[in-house]
Amino acid sequence: MSAEFVLEMKNIGKRYGENTVLSDVTLKVRPGEIHALLGENGAGKSTLMNVLFGMPVIHSTGGFDGEVLLDGEVTHIASPHDAMTKGIGMVHQEFMLLPGFTVTENIKLNREVTNRNLISRMLGKNLETLDMGAMSSAARKALDSVGMNIDEYTRVEGMPVGYMQFVEIAREIDKTGIKLLVFDEPTAVLTESEATQLVSVMKQIAATGIAIIFITHRLDEVMAAADSITILRDGKLAAKREKKDTSILELAELMIGRKGEAMVSVEPREVPKGNVALSVRDLYVDMPGEEVRGVSFDVHEGEILGIGGLAGQGKLGIPNGVMSLYSSAGKVQVFGEELKLGNASDALKAGIAMVSEDRKGVGLLLDQSIEDNIVFTAMQIKGEFLNKYGPITLKSSKAIRQQANQMIKDLDIRCFGPTQHSGTLSGGNQQKVCIARALTMKPRFLFVSEPTRGIDIGAKKLVLETLVKLNREQGMTIVMVSSELQELRSISDRIMIVSEGKLVDVLPPDASDADFGLAMSGIKPGEHKKGGDAQ
Amino acid sequence: MTKNKIQRVIAIVLVIASVVLAVLGAVNLPKRDAQEGKDIIEALRIRTLLNATGDGVVESYVAIAKKEAQAAAKAAGGGMKAIRAAVAKAEEETRAKYENTTTDYSTLDTAALEDAVAAYAAQLEPYYAVTVAAEEAYIAEHLAEAEAKAEAERQAKIDAGQEVGEEEKVEVDMSGFVATEEMTALLAKADEAFNGVGEALKGIYPVLDDSALATLKDTISSVVFQRGDSFTVQYDRYVAAGSGSAVANGTSAFLIRYADDLLYGALALVVAAAVVLFYELLCKKLGIPRIIIGLFFILLCFMSLWYDLDLSTLLSNSLVRMGMNSIMVLAMVPGIQCGISLNLGLPIGLVAGLIGGLVTIELGVPGAWGFLLAIVVGVIIAAVAGWLYAQLLNRLKGEEMSVTTYVGFSIVSLMCIAWLVLPFTSLKLRWPMGTGLRNTIGLDSTNFKHILDDFLAFDIGSFTVPTGLMLFMLLCCFIVWLFTRSKTGVAMQAVGNNPRFAEATGINVDKMRVIGTVLSTVLGAVGILVYSQSYGFMQLYTAPRQMGFIAASAILIGGASTSRCKISHVLIGTFLFQGVLTLGMPVANVLVPGSTISETLRILISNGIILYALTKSGGDSRA
Repeated sequence: MSAEFVLEMKNIGKRYGENTVLSDVTLKVRPGEIHALLGENGAGKSTLMNVLFGMPVIHSTGGFDGEVLLDGEVTHIASPHDAMTKGIGMVHQEFMLLPGFTVTENIKLNREVTNRNLISRMLGKNLETLDMGAMSSAARKALDSVGMNIDEYTRVEGMPVGYMQFVEIAREIDKTGIKLLVFDEPTAVLTESEATQLVSVMKQIAATGIAIIFITHRLDEVMAAADSITILRDGKLAAKREKKDTSILELAELMIGRKGEAMVSVEPREVPKGNVALSVRDLYVDMPGEEVRGVSFDVHEGEILGIGGLAGQGKLGIPNGVMSLYSSAGKVQVFGEELKLGNASDALKAGIAMVSEDRKGVGLLLDQSIEDNIVFTAMQIKGEFLNKYGPITLKSSKAIRQQANQMIKDLDIRCFGPTQHSGTLSGGNQQKVCIARALTMKPRFLFVSEPTRGIDIGAKKLVLETLVKLNREQGMTIVMVSSELQELRSISDRIMIVSEGKLVDVLPPDASDADFGLAMSGIKPGEHKKGGDAQ
Repeated sequence: MTKNKIQRVIAIVLVIASVVLAVLGAVNLPKRDAQEGKDIIEALRIRTLLNATGDGVVESYVAIAKKEAQAAAKAAGGGMKAIRAAVAKAEEETRAKYENTTTDYSTLDTAALEDAVAAYAAQLEPYYAVTVAAEEAYIAEHLAEAEAKAEAERQAKIDAGQEVGEEEKVEVDMSGFVATEEMTALLAKADEAFNGVGEALKGIYPVLDDSALATLKDTISSVVFQRGDSFTVQYDRYVAAGSGSAVANGTSAFLIRYADDLLYGALALVVAAAVVLFYELLCKKLGIPRIIIGLFFILLCFMSLWYDLDLSTLLSNSLVRMGMNSIMVLAMVPGIQCGISLNLGLPIGLVAGLIGGLVTIELGVPGAWGFLLAIVVGVIIAAVAGWLYAQLLNRLKGEEMSVTTYVGFSIVSLMCIAWLVLPFTSLKLRWPMGTGLRNTIGLDSTNFKHILDDFLAFDIGSFTVPTGLMLFMLLCCFIVWLFTRSKTGVAMQAVGNNPRFAEATGINVDKMRVIGTVLSTVLGAVGILVYSQSYGFMQLYTAPRQMGFIAASAILIGGASTSRCKISHVLIGTFLFQGVLTLGMPVANVLVPGSTISETLRILISNGIILYALTKSGGDSRA
């Protein structure tokens, strides 16, 4: 260990086509330290790790800029296997374990201890006998070093998730010559006590001289475990801090940062405090990856409520649950009337419309024309745009065309005409078609979920302006869910931050970056301050 | 050079070539009936005649030499043995002398023969014309009688329990035909003219005597003129007989002979030029698969013209086949639109339709009412079976392709047992011995055979328009089109297009899939009845197994994908698929003569198209 740093990634840059995802990022890790890598979703953490592991997705898209040094020497890492032989290990977020195999077998998978036998002498190395004794004693040693007293012959199937995480870590430690371990959000699935144990195991491992890169967005864990911290924001290096020189508040502020100028400026106004338009109590939504675990809130008539939070924390589950697109439970009242959860048409009939975040999956009929998309919901729910001929009901081409042309004009949908298939439109125009479909329902209440995801800046601006216009001119109550905090802050009256399926806090749009950063990592800003004062 | 320019240059070259061919063809075509054509035929005819009679002449020489040798041997006083040897020797020598020498025709003075042959041909032509007319009249007079007789024979066969084959065209027995007076008179005149030919031939070959001429008469008359001869037929016959060299100017004769083919070629080149020029536009509007199959179809049209096949009859057959298959293809539409992709379980509907047909025959309901009854019974059974089938599909979402294929195959196998045990009693349906229903059940005028095909049908030349069939096809298409525009239809399409979208609008996805599946199955039942009435048979047992695939291929060729289709895809696809199949066989038979190749090719072509269609199951672009 002659070099000061076990790993140096210097001036790393990576672009996918036109899109720059990393630029000029430098990461330096000393031997035996726990180095936290911090950042919001899309800040570039995963891409940086993909570069480190030589993932095919990097090489097949034109490689990267900058250089990677291991122990002070410039190294080319060609593949994940190459990274492994060079002493870099990874503890995955999704467990890469074979459920039907025992702990030992999983730990020693593809690195089995074998003895030669008669058949293998003739037919080659693949038929050598496993030396189960040697394998289990090695596995035992690795398990002991992560503080697990589970029997090494237990099968992985049916183990608590926390145990799986430790088996995975044991596997990495068991590899000989490991110098650097990457933990990709290891605490996301762990209980609090397991998380605490993990942090202590990490410290143990680090004490043996193995460096650890700890990827997370939980600020309190960072403060508990890390020695030094690198913060990424928008693919750029935001800051590098030593733990002793920083505070959780500063980290939160650095992580959120202020990104660019607001695209839409809205006259500040009093937060509407009229009648309650939507009242949600104890909402549980079973949306895979976006579970909601008991959220209660009220939306007042005429306001724009923003819902923010990191990806996978359940903010998308809220509108999807209220609209019954996923199975949900709880008590929901719309304009004072009880809404039965379970069938999407009930919510639509109650006057709620939704623009889904999953444009191509839920929001559009890609193979059908713009006009058919726009009128579809109104036709099915309200029976509009139909002509009756005796017992036969046929769609009314004339009325449909009229509505479509009106919407194309109002929302500036760039297309060849109302009969163009929506699948051939650009993302922004598809989003406008989704909005047009929601507006054709003439809703009193509108959910918009990730309205600006994957669309260009011009379209983003227009979408946001349209929302503001609908709110101000027609008094439509709007709930906007978005990953882009800046966007929420620019048009919302209030912003709800959701973490781990629960409501953390409701903040005014002009709250500080630090407050938002804390809330997103699950710490209620008010409480933290109180805690801080107490210290 | 840009791609665009290359396209233009190629198109211009093709058009120029086409114009050249068209001019050549147009100039030469009228020459057939003009003096040039006559001269060509005349020259060929004389040469062929001389060739043909030449053999007779050799025989005459041999006969003369044998006679002389016999006489000489007798005179020399030899015994029977010596005489025989002498005669044999003389024959051998004479044959050797004449058979291996080629006559230099240019030294012969054939002027007299030409005149005589022309006169003879002029007499034969009206004789044959009158004969054909007389025979047609006779056939027309006796057709009804012959048909009644054939029907009686069929009935007798059915009663006797024999398998009845496909109904053939009724042949009128010509044994009772007596030559008319006009015919005899014309024949006498022709015989007179033949004497002139004989005299002229004698002038050229002095050895020919009357008896030799008498044996040559049939040969000569068949060379000079045959029944139904046209310019091309005669030309081909004479050239095949090896007389091609008789035409002084070979090229111009060739051009005249192939003048019509030159015109077809010109047309083909124009089509090719248009395709090259508008390739992008065609690709965009039709998609590459349809261009390929469409061009193949056009190619087959030109080939059938080139090989002098009866194109209008073939096209008429294509139209009938399109009509009879179209409803089964239409049955794919609700299936695709409701999201079960290609309904390869179509045999469920087909079997239901067949049962409907069987009930009608069992009850003996005739004509249009019978057809209607068959449809009603078939539809009811299909609706029930389709509902059960839909329940299965709803429980196995995501595996539609395997489920439909599996169900399609197993229902056919299951019904193979059912056909054996169903309690039908009509002798038309049952095997006379043992149990079970017949393999193929022939429909006849007492059932619903050709009930649609013949409704308001009319002929344009040899092109028969099956009006009723076309109207029924369009009616069904119209009804399905109306349905796709109804509220339920729109919801059903949304389910097929994007089930999660439909769910988000509160549409009952399962219910819509049931509606689509039932509709598809019902259309299958109607489809097989339309098919059977046109085909003239109901085929039980394993026959319906392949039909689902054929229908699926047709709609894929028409431009549908496994998740998206329109009525136009049905019409285009069925026409192309059946057109290629109908035209492909005769053309292939001409290309590769031999009787067994036809069936092999039918299987090759139809399965080839199915395979090609399935590789294109992604459909064309959304644009």
